[in-house]
Amino acid sequence: MPQFDFAHVLWPQLAWLAVFFAVLYFGVVRMTLPKLGKVMDAREQSISGDLATAKAAKATADEIDAQYHAEMGRSRDEARSAIAAAKAAAAKSTEASLAKAGAKADEALADAEARIAKAVSKAEGALADAAAESAQAIVAKLTGVEPKLDAAKSAVSARA
Amino acid sequence: MANPMEQFSVQTIKPLEVAGYDVSFTNSSLWMLFALVAISIFLFVGTAKPQLVPGRWQAATEYLYDFVRKMLDENVGPEGRRFAPLIFSIFIFVLACNLLGLIPWVGAFTPTSHVTVTFGLAMIVFVTVCVVGIWRHGFHFLALFWPKDANIFLGAFVFTIEFLSFLTRPFTLAIRLFANMTAGHVLLKVFGTFVVTLGSFGALPYVFGILPLGVNIALTALEVLIAVVQAYVFALLASLYLNDAINLH
Repeated sequence: MPQFDFAHVLWPQLAWLAVFFAVLYFGVVRMTLPKLGKVMDAREQSISGDLATAKAAKATADEIDAQYHAEMGRSRDEARSAIAAAKAAAAKSTEASLAKAGAKADEALADAEARIAKAVSKAEGALADAAAESAQAIVAKLTGVEPKLDAAKSAVSARA
Repeated sequence: MANPMEQFSVQTIKPLEVAGYDVSFTNSSLWMLFALVAISIFLFVGTAKPQLVPGRWQAATEYLYDFVRKMLDENVGPEGRRFAPLIFSIFIFVLACNLLGLIPWVGAFTPTSHVTVTFGLAMIVFVTVCVVGIWRHGFHFLALFWPKDANIFLGAFVFTIEFLSFLTRPFTLAIRLFANMTAGHVLLKVFGTFVVTLGSFGALPYVFGILPLGVNIALTALEVLIAVVQAYVFALLASLYLNDAINLH
C-alpha cells in the first residue's frame, strides 16, 4: 500500500497539511465564522426579544381582558341592584296608592251604608205610620169605632 | 487489471526540500489545496454580508456552523463553544477532502485515505486536548485516568489501562478515517475494473458490464454517505475528547 511507504508520503503530506490547515484555521475559519456567529446570536436574541415582547403584550391583553370582565361584572351587579331597588320602590308606591284608594273606597262605602240605613229607617217609619193608619181604618170599618192613632201604632209595632 | 492501490500513490508535482526534509508539492498537497480553496469560497461567500435573514449561501454555512456548535453544546457544554472554530475546521476539512476525492474522471486524490494525513489531523486534536487539559487542570488532569473511590492497586491497574487507551486515541482516530476511505475507494476501483473486464467480453460486448456498473453507482452513493458520516464521526470524537479535557469527571 502506498500509504505505508512513509519515506515518500510522510513529510510532504504532513508539511502541506500543516500549512493548509493553518491557513484554513487562521486565515479562513477565524476570519469568517465569528461574523456568522455574531449574526446567529443576534438573530437568536432578536427572536427571543420578540418573543418576550409578544409575551408581555399578551400578558397586558390578558390583564385588560380580566379588567374588562371584572368591570362588566360589577356594572351588571350594579344594574341588577338598581333594578331591584326600582322594583321595590314601585311596589311600595303601588301599595301606598292602593291603600289610599282602599281607604277612600271604605269611607265612601261607610257613607253610603249610613245613608242606606238612614233611608231604610226612614222608610220603616213611614211604613209603620202607613200600617197604623191602615189598621185604624180597618178597625173603624170592622167595628165602627175608630181607635186612637197611638193605640193602632203600638198594636202594629207589637205585631211587627 | 489496473492495480486498485494505484489511486493512492503520491506523485510529486514540484520537488521541494526544506532543512533536509522532503516537502515536495504532490498530488496529495494539490487536493488538500483544492479542499482549502473550496472551503474558502464556501465560507467567504457565505459570510460576505451576514444578514439577520440569511440568503442561500449564508444559510448553508450557518447550517454547518450551527451543526458543529450544537454538537459541542451537547457533548462539551457551554465552554465548548470556544473550540467551535477548531472542530469546525477539522470537520469541514475532512469533509471536503472526503467528498472531493470521490469526484470521478478528474483523477481525484483523497488525502484522507492516507494515514499520514489523518494522523496529522488526529494529532491536532490530541495535542489540543492535552494542552487544554493541562492548562485548565494542571497535574490534576491525570485524575482523568484514575477511577473514583478505588483502592490503590485497582486504581493503578485502571490508571494504566486508561492512560494507554488515552495514548491510542490519535491512532484509532486516524486509522478509522483512513481505513474507511481506503476501503471505499478500493471497492469502487475494483468494481470499476469489473465494468471494463466484463464489458469487453468479446462475444457479447457491454452487456455484462451493466451489473457491476449498477453496483458501482450504488457504491458511489454509499461512499458519499460514508464521506459525510466519517467527517462527522471524526469531529464528534474530537469533541468528546475535548469534553474529557474540559470537564474532568
